[in-house]
Amino acid sequence: TLFPSYFGAGPPREEGGPAPAAGWGELGQVLEAGPGRCQAQTTFVPRRGGTGESWEPADAAAVPLLPPNASCWVPSLAPQDILYRGILRRKLRAGRYGAALDFTKQLSHFFVDHPEDAFGSLGQLLHKNFYLGNSKLRHPHVPWRGLRGRSCSLPQPDTSCPPRSGCSRHHVASRLRWFSHLCRDWLFEVPLGLLADCLHEELLLQWANLLFDDSPTGGALAWLPPKNTGACMGCVVYPGGQAMNHLYFQDVVLEELPRARGSPAQFELNGRIRQVAAARVDAEDFVGVRSDYHCGVWRVPGRTGAAPAPLQVIRTGTPASCLTVSPHLPGELAVCTQSGTVYLWSVETGLQQLRHDPQTMFFRDHSPWRWSDFTAHPRVLSCADRTGLQCLDARAPERCHFDLFKVGEEAGCQQGERVVLPLYLGRAHPSQHLVTTQFSVYVLDERLPLVPVLKWAHMMKAPPLFAHLTPGGPGRSHKVLLGTSRTQELLLLQYRGERRGSGRGSRSACQLAGPPQKLHSIAGCLQHLPAQLPHRHRLLQQRLSAPAAGLAAVLQEDGPRESLLVFQLSEAGDVFCQRLTHEAVQPPAPTSGDEAAAAPGSSPLFDPAAALRYRRWLRALPKGCGEPPQHSWPPTLSQKRLFTRKELEVPASPSALHEEARQRLRQAMREGGRIQHWDPPATQIPALPQPEEPAGDLDALSTRLTAAWAGDWGQWWEERSSFNMAQRQRALRERRRRQKRARGQRSLSASFTSSLTYQSELSELSDAAPLPLSPACPAVLPQEGSPPAGSPPASPPPDEALLSSQSLRCRGIPKERRKTLRDYLSVWAEGPPEPPEPPGSQASQLCIPSSQSQLSSASQTRRKRPRMGF
Amino acid sequence: SSREHKLNFKKSKEVCLSYIQDAMLRKQWKRAAEFLTSYIESLEKDFSREYMGPSEIIWRMGTEILCHHSHSSMKEFNSFIEQMKTLGVKRYLKVCLEHTFHLLCNGLVDEAYENLSLAESWRFGEQTAIQDKEMKLIQAYRGLLDYYSWSKQKNILLQHGQDGFEDLSVEQEMHSCFRKAAVNLKEIIKIPGVWDLFVKCYVDLLEFYGDHNEARQVLNEYAYNSKFPANPNAHVYLYQFLKRHGESKKSLISALKILHDIVPSHELMIDFNMMLQKSKKRKKRRLGLEVIFAALDYAGWKENVKAWSCLARQVKQIVISEKHLDWIKQEWNSRKDWWPTFHFSRYLAKRNWQENESLSYEKALVAGILLGKDCKYFKYISHQGCKAQMKRFRILKKFVNKHNPVYLRISG
Repeated sequence: TLFPSYFGAGPPREEGGPAPAAGWGELGQVLEAGPGRCQAQTTFVPRRGGTGESWEPADAAAVPLLPPNASCWVPSLAPQDILYRGILRRKLRAGRYGAALDFTKQLSHFFVDHPEDAFGSLGQLLHKNFYLGNSKLRHPHVPWRGLRGRSCSLPQPDTSCPPRSGCSRHHVASRLRWFSHLCRDWLFEVPLGLLADCLHEELLLQWANLLFDDSPTGGALAWLPPKNTGACMGCVVYPGGQAMNHLYFQDVVLEELPRARGSPAQFELNGRIRQVAAARVDAEDFVGVRSDYHCGVWRVPGRTGAAPAPLQVIRTGTPASCLTVSPHLPGELAVCTQSGTVYLWSVETGLQQLRHDPQTMFFRDHSPWRWSDFTAHPRVLSCADRTGLQCLDARAPERCHFDLFKVGEEAGCQQGERVVLPLYLGRAHPSQHLVTTQFSVYVLDERLPLVPVLKWAHMMKAPPLFAHLTPGGPGRSHKVLLGTSRTQELLLLQYRGERRGSGRGSRSACQLAGPPQKLHSIAGCLQHLPAQLPHRHRLLQQRLSAPAAGLAAVLQEDGPRESLLVFQLSEAGDVFCQRLTHEAVQPPAPTSGDEAAAAPGSSPLFDPAAALRYRRWLRALPKGCGEPPQHSWPPTLSQKRLFTRKELEVPASPSALHEEARQRLRQAMREGGRIQHWDPPATQIPALPQPEEPAGDLDALSTRLTAAWAGDWGQWWEERSSFNMAQRQRALRERRRRQKRARGQRSLSASFTSSLTYQSELSELSDAAPLPLSPACPAVLPQEGSPPAGSPPASPPPDEALLSSQSLRCRGIPKERRKTLRDYLSVWAEGPPEPPEPPGSQASQLCIPSSQSQLSSASQTRRKRPRMGF
Repeated sequence: SSREHKLNFKKSKEVCLSYIQDAMLRKQWKRAAEFLTSYIESLEKDFSREYMGPSEIIWRMGTEILCHHSHSSMKEFNSFIEQMKTLGVKRYLKVCLEHTFHLLCNGLVDEAYENLSLAESWRFGEQTAIQDKEMKLIQAYRGLLDYYSWSKQKNILLQHGQDGFEDLSVEQEMHSCFRKAAVNLKEIIKIPGVWDLFVKCYVDLLEFYGDHNEARQVLNEYAYNSKFPANPNAHVYLYQFLKRHGESKKSLISALKILHDIVPSHELMIDFNMMLQKSKKRKKRRLGLEVIFAALDYAGWKENVKAWSCLARQVKQIVISEKHLDWIKQEWNSRKDWWPTFHFSRYLAKRNWQENESLSYEKALVAGILLGKDCKYFKYISHQGCKAQMKRFRILKKFVNKHNPVYLRISG
């Protein structure tokens, strides 16, 4: 006898969405209980709300089962990483579009992080004509100099976004736009349109994944029960490693607190493990492992202590979305790919394609997700997509099939409801299946397709991607665990129904037993941990609240005491476990939950063993976990992010520390070595290291440079300027006039020799007056250049000041090399990594052209930056 | 600021709701009840046009909490539900129906009946489709309760009849109960759905008053109307009805044949097979073999001794008569690639021998014929049986050895 229900066909009529309390309070329907019709009083049982078994959590939180996954875990993408956060955000949010993805930011990130990929080869080709530094240059023949600036600033105007605060080249936006208009066809390594398309596609994909990621469906954690009944050692199968591409088979002893025994058997795979499925056939465990493009099957022999053996691997062209292991026949699996293909995979006979249909079954849905599981008949497989389930006979898949579940009025679904995870409940009853959607769970019977024998709104905040069945014995309820990924929710349901192998007469309809129960999530243990430093607390929080990736459970019978051990895997690769103990006799006061309710943040409620386990786990947790690794910074960094404006200012006077730093750097560069130690200056400022003075005659430039290095350039200037100034000025002016006249007559081609002209000019100038300055300057210059009395020493530490692009730029080191230099300098603080390329030759070679241009434009720049070294 | 106030109110409402939810999911009913009393304030400004408004939430959560709270009584529960009935017009019927279920599950049948009658007389404007359905259910449940009181009175009467005196008032009351029940039950089972309970009761009523035609029609309609779901129980009821009334073998077989087509793994398939085996017609015996083979395909039948003995008997018959070996061959063809691992593995031989000796005997016979005397299952079982000095296993061994050529013909 089944509970009464209406039956309608067609699309779901009920509107609605996730309702907060939809699963409470309803008994659904009632049915007379028991066969005793002749009794004086008929008794009734409800479909929902019957009494269930009492399972109480033994601990206050989940306890780590294994040491933390040692490898550094990269936190997964967060919405704020790709969402647009500008002025327009509110407007966009108010509009129809739910989320605005920050496309321009991502594109510019790409240009900054991968400049070589973005415009590597053309950048090199154009090197001669395009100055790639970002100092301000003016030259009639190379009008785009300086605009190239940060490569990232180029594409921003391309995407025609309004100039906003994020754009560092605000003031040159129009020219940039002009420039990009000219060069967008040829400058980029990958055509910009194509690149943008790809990026956009990827962004949408990432966003969709953030909203709902179905790749871990089914869960990547499996429990292989003990080989002999009564033994207490099982095996937990889980992924680990930095990329979650190592498969571990870890023996676990079930004690009060389950513990790992021995070291795990380990297999390295070449893809992130998405799903681990296991089934036991004829006392042998078969473990199926799914990654995106590969599926593999392992066999764990029945003997205790036997090593798991890989059997076969298949490769798929499109990502696989499902892998289930047959509970009936050894070495049989069901595989689905996102192209809509379903295979029956037998280790002996290979793959058999059962269906290939990129379209969904009952109505159109865009999701390529497919699932397949086994049914009561070993040759009949269930196939699922988001719209429902069908059963196909593998012997004649085209002809023999029937609909098992349809998102529609038949099952009383809501509009917008979609299948999330089907699960074959064969261990509880051979013909029953569980289907979860984002709103409800259904129990279906193959014998009565389309009409769920049980339905309940689970009220979980995210769709349940993981489910696990623990069948109950005669007279007991079956336990179903549901788990979500992102929110780590874990729910225990109990239902009663026909039992496997029960004779006629003792049949009863499926009914939900007892209220659902929430179990501890991994993140929930944080409040019970000892207080941590804020920074570590944050890391720990991040680590513990990583999305869940799998779920497993085992019923442990220890004499009269029964307990249910629930294992949970997180995306970071940590396995936690919790114990629920069964209270066979209902306690007189069934509100035991109330007493156990502890205020958050209260003292730990663990027994010493669990506390010890926690301490060990915390100790083993790598210190840097969760932090972005230091060395993985993208090679080019915006200086805006590295230094504040204040820090970038060249100090009023170079301090003694600066001097020393310069000196050592210079020396190191000359020798091609590196600076090993950086000793802070002694209490007494040592005598300035004398720059190496070339013996014999010093030319004027050398003297000036030496003076500049020594820091008393001002004095030098004073000396020089007092000498015959008026006369020299006159001579200079005369010469320039002559030159101008000569240049005007020359043809355009003469511009190619301009550099030559400068060269001669330089030599001429150097032995005469140093620079053609306006008369006002000399008076100002020495004052600014000399250290003001009593001013505090320069604030930025020497290395930073040395590293700042501005000071490097002042030395005329082009942008590309500046980075090398910066890298070079940053190494000595951290000990010796690989030997840096000898910078000496580069520096000297590069200094020449830039110093030329520097000098040529000196008359303009000098006024603005009077304190430059040269 | 009023906007802000509204926002704050909404926010605190949500927070409160999540606290209640959390407490309920952790079975902290007292705590949940405390939060719920605060949440009731949210009714004051219930402008929400959400799918589920606060009044429904309060009804659902309140009901659940009262069901589990240690200090709640039925009286409190009733007064809470009465208040809930007045909260929402659209939900009135549903709340009534649920209230009835609660009363029924607590054994308060009279109160439940009263409640249903009250709900039935309720009128408010035009009914929506859902309310229409709910009303029909209310009537059906009232009919069901009428049926139960009818059957109670029937039992009294039958008892009195045995004692030898008649009671006219009881009889009259019984008939009026019948009328009330029949009207309501008849209504609901016209609508497509799963109405096992109502159909059974209605058929019982009709049978008692001798209206077999109507009963048969109802059962036929329930089983064969294509608008109804493919409910195997409907066919079972029909079969049982036919059997009760001594219908011909032919009609029984045709009823079971349909059941076999929709649920090959139904328990009745054993009866069906036995019925067919006894038949004189070749076609039926052939169908019998098909039925039992199909049933044993299912995982749930793996250890069913009865089914295995049915198959063993029929296979043995065929082998001895040496007629229709092609039937076995045909059935075996689609199974020979997986039955050996599914049914006849060495592991299963060991386990079956340990757990159920007679099962292993029947299976060994089938295995010996289908797979020959060298099959792992047969070898293991016959070896163990002979070792244990059991006569029937020795006979089995002899039989299989004698008929080994059959195996070659089947597999060939």
